[in-house]
Amino acid sequence: MIDAHGLRLRASALSAIRRFLEGRGYLEVPTPVLVPSGAFEEHLHVVRAADGALRTSPEFALKRALAAGLGRIYEIGPCLRDRESGPWHGREFTMLEWYRVGAEPDDVMDEVEALVAAVATAMGLPPPGPWKRLTLREAFLAHAGIDLAETDAAGLSKGRDADWDDAFIRAFVEDVEPHLSGPTFLLDWPVGQAALSRVHDGPWPVARRFEAFLGRVELANAFFELNDPTALLQRAASSAATRAAAGDAPHPVDRDLVRATAALPRTTGIALGVDRLVAALAGWPNLSPGRVEATWN
Amino acid sequence: MYQTSEFRKGLKVEIDNAPWIITDFQFVKPGKGQAFTRTRMKNMLNGSTLERTYRTGESLAPADVEDGNFTYLFNDGEGWHFMNAETFEQIEVPKEVLAEQAGFLLEEMPCKILFYKGRPVQVEIPTFVELMITYCEPGSRGNTATGGAMKSATLSTGAEIMVPLFIEQDTWIKIDTRDGSYVERVSKK
Repeated sequence: MIDAHGLRLRASALSAIRRFLEGRGYLEVPTPVLVPSGAFEEHLHVVRAADGALRTSPEFALKRALAAGLGRIYEIGPCLRDRESGPWHGREFTMLEWYRVGAEPDDVMDEVEALVAAVATAMGLPPPGPWKRLTLREAFLAHAGIDLAETDAAGLSKGRDADWDDAFIRAFVEDVEPHLSGPTFLLDWPVGQAALSRVHDGPWPVARRFEAFLGRVELANAFFELNDPTALLQRAASSAATRAAAGDAPHPVDRDLVRATAALPRTTGIALGVDRLVAALAGWPNLSPGRVEATWN
Repeated sequence: MYQTSEFRKGLKVEIDNAPWIITDFQFVKPGKGQAFTRTRMKNMLNGSTLERTYRTGESLAPADVEDGNFTYLFNDGEGWHFMNAETFEQIEVPKEVLAEQAGFLLEEMPCKILFYKGRPVQVEIPTFVELMITYCEPGSRGNTATGGAMKSATLSTGAEIMVPLFIEQDTWIKIDTRDGSYVERVSKK
């Protein structure tokens, strides 16, 4: 099904994104889709191609550009993640990723609010708002009556998961996400969900990461980027072990990523699903109206 | 066993010693976590609903259920006897399985019977049946079906239901078997 109106809305969103970022001094940097290592995180699955994989995000290559001294960069392009399909997931999707050297997570939240408003306006829709900013600990207290800092795996998911992070994610999906409404930022994730973000030590350490939601739709994932190559290699080993235990091949560690991480300035980075942004703003029940999709059997 | 990737609407699964049918499911994958299938199910025995979230890789056992087309024959006070419409094999369904539906069964009525672990657990009878009233107080004129006032009436099967005041003994009426409510008068059989 081709939806001409949906495709026009998407096109106006794409040009609004480029106008917005160029207006703020961001440089569009194209990077390869076919790469030696397509992912880092244990729960991402790559589509293999040639002697490598198709990227799950443009992160590794963009970090090389940052390490080389570019301070504000972005890319919009296709990314692929195997084993993901549903109304709000496609194996292939359009990702917007942008990096801003010297910014704090609060600055990026302000920027997301402004970007989403600019895109909505370009689509002829009212900008959503006001945005809420909640830590994960606050969100769990409000919606599930659970204090994350005091609750073990058994308490989080009623004994269904042995691993704390697995229990956390299940509790998030069952008890928190269904209650989200309006535009929301969820920040300070448990350290097991850090991926490539820095960790803020404290009585209950958290990952300096946030996610942006429009209603229940997860729109974007932002990071205060890790620039410690030793920590990177430790997390890579942990990811590999988790994958091996689940019977999946570990992701090869991207050599450019390790080198770039060592030279990375203090920077934020954020990845936003463009198909989701358009669909959530337009109020569609799924991603389809904004996409041309192949027919698979 | 059914893997989460095999979940489909209408799939019948066994959870906590009961058969459930999947009515809806959705792939969810939050942030940096694992993928899940959020699944909505209906209990095939009592109709209650359940929403559970299964991690990719978790699996559910198929429910040992089957259903068949039957014809109602008779009851002997203990059990209700039905004949399989395809094999002509006769079975007996205990009283408690039928509950209030027993009051609307007519000989030769086509029914669907659900079996769980080989035992009949549910009888689906037609949504609407037509039965004759064998006893009720005389009708009072001037009352209409929309008036709201009701009286008790006994059906040819022995069941009692509430009917509007104007309904007379020996009339045939249509009944909604889902809640045992009066629908309308029907012309003479």
